[in-house]
Amino acid sequence: MADKFKSTRIVDDYTPIVHNEENILEVVQLKKYFPIKSGLLQRVVGYVKAVDGVTFNIKRGTTMGLVGESGCGKTTVGRTILRLYEKSGGQVLFNGQDIHKYNAKEMRDLRPKMQIIFQDPYSSLSPRLPVGEIISEAVREHELVPSEAFEDHIDNIMNKCGLQPYHKDRYPHEFSGGQRQRICIARALALNPEFVVCDEPVSALDVSIQAQIINLLMDLQEQFNLTYLFISHDLSVVEHISSTIGVMYLGDLVEYGSKKDIFANPLHPYTQALFSAIPVPEPGAKMNRIVLEGSIPSPANPPRGCKFHTRCAYCMDRCKVEEPLQRELEPDHFVACHLYDQEPEKTS
Amino acid sequence: MSEMNKNLHSKPPAGDETRQHISTTMALDDEQRIKVLSPAMLVFRRFIRNRLAIIGVLFITAMFAFSFVGGWIMPYGESETFKKYVDMSKLYAGVTQNQDYQFVIAGEQDFPSTARAQFVLAVNNKQTDFEAQGKRYTVETISDELYVVSNLMTVAQAINVMKQYDISPAAGVSLPSDFNDAFISAIQTKADQFTAGGATYQIMLERKIYYAYKSEQLALATYNIMDLAVADAPISFEFRYQAEKAASQGQDATFSADGLNYALKVTDDTAELYRTNGSEQTLVAVLSRYVVSPLYSDVLVTIEFKDAVKQAIADGLTTFSFAQGDEAARQYTIERDNTQWIIRTVEDTLVIRAYDFPTREHWLGTDANGMDIMTRLMYGGRISLMIGFIVVLIETFIGVILGGIAGYFGKWIDNLLMRIVDIFNSIPSIPIIIIIGAVMDGMRIDPQIRMVYLMLILGVLGWPGIARLVRGQILSLREQEFMVAAEATGLSVYRRIFKHLVPNVIPQLIVISTMSLGGIILTESTLSFLGLGVKFPFASWGNIINAVSNVHVMTNYWFVWIPAGFCILITVLGFNFIGDGLRDAFDPKMKR
Amino acid sequence: MINKKDSKKKIKRANYLSASQSLNIARHNRKMMRHFEKRNNRKNVPESEYLAEMKKPGNVVEFDDLHTYFFTDAGTVKAVDGVSFDVPLGKTVGVVGESGCGKSVTSLSLMQILQRPIGQIVSGSIRFDTGSKVYDIAKMPSEKMQKIRGNNISMIFQEPMTSLNPVFRIGTQVDEIIKLHNPEMDKEEIKARTIEMLEMVSIANCEGVYRMYPHELSGGMRQRVMIAMSLACSPRLIIADEPTTALDVTIQAQILDLLRNLKDKINSSIMLITHDLGVIAEMADYVVVMYAGRIVEKGTANEIFNHPSHPYTIGLMASKPSVNKRVERLYSIPGKVPNPINMPDYCYFRDRCEKRFGRCDGPYPNEYNLSPTHSTHCYLYADDQEERQDG
Repeated sequence: MADKFKSTRIVDDYTPIVHNEENILEVVQLKKYFPIKSGLLQRVVGYVKAVDGVTFNIKRGTTMGLVGESGCGKTTVGRTILRLYEKSGGQVLFNGQDIHKYNAKEMRDLRPKMQIIFQDPYSSLSPRLPVGEIISEAVREHELVPSEAFEDHIDNIMNKCGLQPYHKDRYPHEFSGGQRQRICIARALALNPEFVVCDEPVSALDVSIQAQIINLLMDLQEQFNLTYLFISHDLSVVEHISSTIGVMYLGDLVEYGSKKDIFANPLHPYTQALFSAIPVPEPGAKMNRIVLEGSIPSPANPPRGCKFHTRCAYCMDRCKVEEPLQRELEPDHFVACHLYDQEPEKTS
Repeated sequence: MSEMNKNLHSKPPAGDETRQHISTTMALDDEQRIKVLSPAMLVFRRFIRNRLAIIGVLFITAMFAFSFVGGWIMPYGESETFKKYVDMSKLYAGVTQNQDYQFVIAGEQDFPSTARAQFVLAVNNKQTDFEAQGKRYTVETISDELYVVSNLMTVAQAINVMKQYDISPAAGVSLPSDFNDAFISAIQTKADQFTAGGATYQIMLERKIYYAYKSEQLALATYNIMDLAVADAPISFEFRYQAEKAASQGQDATFSADGLNYALKVTDDTAELYRTNGSEQTLVAVLSRYVVSPLYSDVLVTIEFKDAVKQAIADGLTTFSFAQGDEAARQYTIERDNTQWIIRTVEDTLVIRAYDFPTREHWLGTDANGMDIMTRLMYGGRISLMIGFIVVLIETFIGVILGGIAGYFGKWIDNLLMRIVDIFNSIPSIPIIIIIGAVMDGMRIDPQIRMVYLMLILGVLGWPGIARLVRGQILSLREQEFMVAAEATGLSVYRRIFKHLVPNVIPQLIVISTMSLGGIILTESTLSFLGLGVKFPFASWGNIINAVSNVHVMTNYWFVWIPAGFCILITVLGFNFIGDGLRDAFDPKMKR
Repeated sequence: MINKKDSKKKIKRANYLSASQSLNIARHNRKMMRHFEKRNNRKNVPESEYLAEMKKPGNVVEFDDLHTYFFTDAGTVKAVDGVSFDVPLGKTVGVVGESGCGKSVTSLSLMQILQRPIGQIVSGSIRFDTGSKVYDIAKMPSEKMQKIRGNNISMIFQEPMTSLNPVFRIGTQVDEIIKLHNPEMDKEEIKARTIEMLEMVSIANCEGVYRMYPHELSGGMRQRVMIAMSLACSPRLIIADEPTTALDVTIQAQILDLLRNLKDKINSSIMLITHDLGVIAEMADYVVVMYAGRIVEKGTANEIFNHPSHPYTIGLMASKPSVNKRVERLYSIPGKVPNPINMPDYCYFRDRCEKRFGRCDGPYPNEYNLSPTHSTHCYLYADDQEERQDG
């Protein structure tokens, strides 16, 4: 009975962040639970813990990569940060402001500063609006540029994204996937954002087009001093574009640190397995990979203790009961695993 | 394409410069090579590719042209009634054999009805005189059927006083000078009558008083009836008396009356009277026992006609022909009914052209009210189509607003609205409409206002389907990434709904509206058929078909109801074909 | 300003099909489709008509100048335009290329499950060795093809959920296939064989899975079941069309592991179709690189990955970021695949190629052999070839 009660309550305790000017985004213990409703009265009987206490921050002008398998909650993190979903717990500071405390009007005014690019270039463009309208409508609505400079601004953005002015009159269905993704990027950038969540922007594209889009994103970052949260399941892409990387597993951020640290020295067993799973285009290159057993448990009913313990090769008794805390093993390299529990004790 | 080639060739291949703007220089212009269609064009192309849809469009165009243009071209009005002349055997005149005495009264005298009754008694008793109301009358029998009634007036009385006759005239009577002598001499010679001053007087003895009567012809009693050639020509008693007298002889004769000469020709029971003026003879009158009277006030029966009728009856004919004046001879039939004869003639009569078979001027014939069915169909089409469109408009309006609200805002609003939809879906609509129709019948609501009510009711009962569709569509669209993107770019709710959601719902909306148009036209027809929808004088395909409720009409006059049924069939089919075509055109995946 | 607008409109209009053009296309399509459908639907065709002989006895499949066209509203799409390659017995051939390059259409042509009547094999031949007889599938009427499918060729699809029937238990579905191909077996034997198959694809709890419904399984497990089903009738050839694309990285690793292990155990050939060079590198013995409906390069996996020759292959490999290689900037092939309706008459890759030179303006290059197994269609290697032929 007590258990049941507990399961429908969201624990929300976190230490409020002390804002650091360097960071454009600071996230602490962010939680997003989706209620599972059942019965005639649609009572909440449980939660899908899509994001379950994620803490990280992103420095201005850098790219943070967020990797993980499908269903690990990386997309939810992206959307909750933008307040497209209301959070269930924790805190999100954008430029030091807690955006989840904004009212609707303030939020709308803030929207242009934080943009999102989606995975599916087909469903992310309204099929019945011409491209020019898609790109410019929000600019016009927010009156970001004076009307006399409006056309130039749009043309400029489109040009930067590799689109021609005559594309304005066309409809999305006339474009290929790569082109559509450029339109999405142009739509986001037309609003002069500071921060862009790239939600698997290249996953649906062909390899040669992927490279074009990745290059475009990196060029634009340079030009506009953008900050990216780059969400992808493709480690090689994340590795290429990011400066910091977070690895998510079942709603938890299991490892988080600079790209160099993570790739040179992956600490969490899941990160190690993930890295070794990437197929390398070299015949016979990698045959001794770590193959994880089983599949990802349901986030509605995650395992107790460390969520990875069901698939972990180094699973200890402790992992099955106690949830590991995120700890900083190296400077700016955080990991949540019981394997490294003793080490700080030894050193201290 | 040329632009692209230019780009390609103007830039040196490879090298660092190209890397700088790989994506912008030659990246994407080869788009120019791909030939695509605009979205509307794509839909249109897929639509016209669909043969059934084209048939549907043809059907609907035809029905629209028929209803709207046709009604405008057609020279007839919606409720114009047509009439026609029909050769109908019509009662023309009646003939009776006279069984009563006709009294022809001379001059200005009075022959009261009691006296007439006494006369009949006297004739029957073969008396030569009778008395009525203190007046004395004498009857002079000329023939069995002709009597002359005279009035006996006391002119004077003579009382024998000592062998001396004292003559005293009646009051107010002036007597000729030789009257007294003649009277006395007549008494002495015991004569019945005497003449004095050219007049004849009769003597009657009563209680020793001699009365001198002057007998004056009062009336002529005859069975014959005189029909005059000139309707109001005055005839004198003298003429009538002479004519009757001559006629009673039963043979041709001549006589003179009022200083004119007449000839009489007898044929059977009738006698024709001619005025002779030298050798010239003109028909003046006909005498006979038959009474020919017109059965309608507007029929003028001429003497010639009467004569002809009498002749025919006398000859025992059943038909005869007669030419009235300058007109062509017409055929008349005579039916005998005891002492009556009824004369019928076939005559052009103006009637409503009910259930006229198709002709050149009424291509589909006429209906029970003599209205042109083609025209009724056209006006009915206008009403049916208009009702269909207006009802769909009402449905769509309510459906989009409520469905949109439910879909976009979700939560309890959605729950509430969807439960309302459930309630509306569980209302048995046909009984409700029938009840409301009956109530409107009872309240005698004007047919035009009734039509408005009908549209409102159908619209209000029909919106839940559309609301549900719109809600479902919006629910699924809301989860699409472009809606998330619209939210992320901070677009206002208004813009998100009307620029992003609504245009994406419109295809489905068009499809379902087209499909439901057919359904509404059917419902309207059903109701009108049941007499609950559009009412006379307004036409609707449904109430035109209503004619089949009469079995006789259904079996004999196909042209009344088949075309209307065909119109409904074509229109509903057309709308359904178009709806299907549109659905396939908007969403080609659904077909496979 | 007005001029600018006018020209803009002109460009735009130039991009759309005119009514008469589309009418012509529709007329042509109808004619072509009728012609090929008639051929496909013939009845009682003598076997001799589609019997063939393998060029090399060791091959299971030989594609010989295959042309598969789609007659679409916008024009004829030459999805496969002259493809020739062999699948040797017991080997894995990887077909790699970007979306729309015709790799899937090649496999669909082999199975004769093209989206007919729009898609038709126009010319060329696909010789398939069933073990006893060699058939030319391109000429085979549809009714005869039924027996080849499933019996001799099986297919693993990208999305395992849609290929399993959701209302039947896993065991029932696998049983059915085994029964179809082994009618003499009784129930117990079939079940035993099914469990054996499930074990073979490393499903731990095979007795449990036997009684489960597809929705109870994760994506990886479902793909394993699909593999078990495709193995059930011991086909000569397994076509794996993007078997791991829909799976997560760790699951993909599991499946690749499984496939690699199975490859040694069974003696079927595998035709592996994917856009992922990494998967190809791990699995394939031979690699065929396709671009815009044609083969640009083919060879053994070592040759392709260690000595890629065609600029497209090189570009493709360079544009894929790799964990091991550090590059400041990814190489990206500029532009995009030409419109398949309006293919240029020169090398299809010329407009995107950074190594093009004068000769590239000529007709589409022939096949030039770099080694007995390695060949490419590129003028860069024409000189070597011609020299070699001369000398």
